[in-house]
Amino acid sequence: MSSSVGPDCTELKQKYDNCFNKWYSEKFLKGDTTPECEDLFKDYRACVMVTLKEKGIDKLLDESRKEAPFPSTSFGENNNNDNKQS
Amino acid sequence: MVKFYQHSFSYDHPWQNVTLAFWLRYPNPFASHVLAVDVLDRYVDEQGVLRTTRLVLKKGKAPKWFPKTFLKNSEAFVIEESEVDPKSMTMITRTKNLNHVRIMQIVETQKFQVGNEENTTTCKSEACIVSRFGWGMTSRIEMFGQSNFAANASKARKGMRHILQMIREKQAGGRLPFFHTQPSS
Repeated sequence: MSSSVGPDCTELKQKYDNCFNKWYSEKFLKGDTTPECEDLFKDYRACVMVTLKEKGIDKLLDESRKEAPFPSTSFGENNNNDNKQS
Repeated sequence: MVKFYQHSFSYDHPWQNVTLAFWLRYPNPFASHVLAVDVLDRYVDEQGVLRTTRLVLKKGKAPKWFPKTFLKNSEAFVIEESEVDPKSMTMITRTKNLNHVRIMQIVETQKFQVGNEENTTTCKSEACIVSRFGWGMTSRIEMFGQSNFAANASKARKGMRHILQMIREKQAGGRLPFFHTQPSS
């Protein structure tokens, strides 16, 4: 299993990943889309966010999200919207 | 931005396993440059689609001719957005680099769907690249990005196949549920 960017978060990440992988293959793919593992995710995510802030990545993330919404509907066409990034 | 890469290929594995392999694909022996992967956001939307944002940290690699002053930090962050629709059996993923974007930005989109033959999955992949570096180096950087991308895409498929094989072996041992998919019409 892969590590987290925050060395202190790797253990929380692995607990969450284990829960998610089980839910994903045993519930979600079989049609039960009720989320599980939410509490584990909250703890893990809080840890990661601290690390991202320390590394200054949080600002890069915010900019990236402003400029490009997920283009799922435009797949296969020319993604002209992407040209507008400055 | 130039669309420079378009590729379609098939995995001899059911769609469910391919989407699971996408989550599990790091670490693998073909991706030693990947240092860390984190989930930043994940939720099931009103349509029952799983939406995920992940952050991937990679060791950067610049060509020898690239001026070192511009690459003090060789870590590259890649943002990966994805959606999985279990009803239509479609997974769409998009990755792009977060930093070093002035030197070069590559956006790759992939679409995984049930293949025409039983228990196969097709993947359509396309990538765009843009460099805003200027100084007469833009086209050289874009060329470097293109040739590098094709080699990396091949390694990425090897990594996915490696993980898919592991999933298959675990299923044979009864530790993961089996999936079986009918070909799409």
